Amino acid sequence: MAEIAEPQVLPGSVESVKDKTDSKIDPGYLVICWNDPVNYMEYVTHVFQRVFGWNRQKADFHMLEVHEQGKSVLARESLEKAEHYVHQLQKFSLHATLERDE
Amino acid sequence: MKLRTRQNDELIFELTERERSCLVNVLGLYPLTPPAHYQLSRNQCVPEPEEAQKLLDEAMAEQRAGHRKALDEFLNSSTRFSRAGRKVLFTLSEPEADFLLQVLNDIRVGSWISIGSPVELPPIPTQGNIRGISIMEIAGFFEGNILAALTSD
Repeated sequence: MAEIAEPQVLPGSVESVKDKTDSKIDPGYLVICWNDPVNYMEYVTHVFQRVFGWNRQKADFHMLEVHEQGKSVLARESLEKAEHYVHQLQKFSLHATLERDE
Repeated sequence: MKLRTRQNDELIFELTERERSCLVNVLGLYPLTPPAHYQLSRNQCVPEPEEAQKLLDEAMAEQRAGHRKALDEFLNSSTRFSRAGRKVLFTLSEPEADFLLQVLNDIRVGSWISIGSPVELPPIPTQGNIRGISIMEIAGFFEGNILAALTSD
């Protein structure tokens, strides 16, 4: 029975593959919603539920954080996903941005 | 504006003729939020920030065009408004209510920006801001009623 040959590892190749994978899955961007005086609190809760699929309790928690502390970090995601969420939130006219998580 | 019934996926509101007229006219202002209002990031932290901002601008423009068209169809639907004595019945599905909230909020936010984004609401009316305040409050009136209906048990 023939043995399965061990894959040959070339110097440097492991690191480059690892780097590529990490940058793809590394959730390094924050989706932030900022307070403003114009959006109704009830509306903000409604939008969080629609965009993130959260239950009422979780959506209310983040809405109150926005209201009382001026902002709330809604998600920590890869760049692509964070951009998607910011687009969605802005389509509902919420003041949302993405920032690098240092 | 009063919620008359909410069954399955359908909401029926009772409006006065004056409210119907206000709703149709305020919706005619969509879109009102200026495109430059939407910024992807506060500190340009993304790689290729100009390209990323351009993508957001395109997504918003696409949504506005789609919503404007959908709004015309929404208002022209033969079943949208019907008479019940002196009242007007305003019928919409829950997904349509979601859509209308998005549109009304754009109008509310856009009119708020047009009067200088005041921190204190409602601001003291002046000749310069009275139109913007009125639009903001009318959009907010309908928005509040729809939100209350969607969250009522």
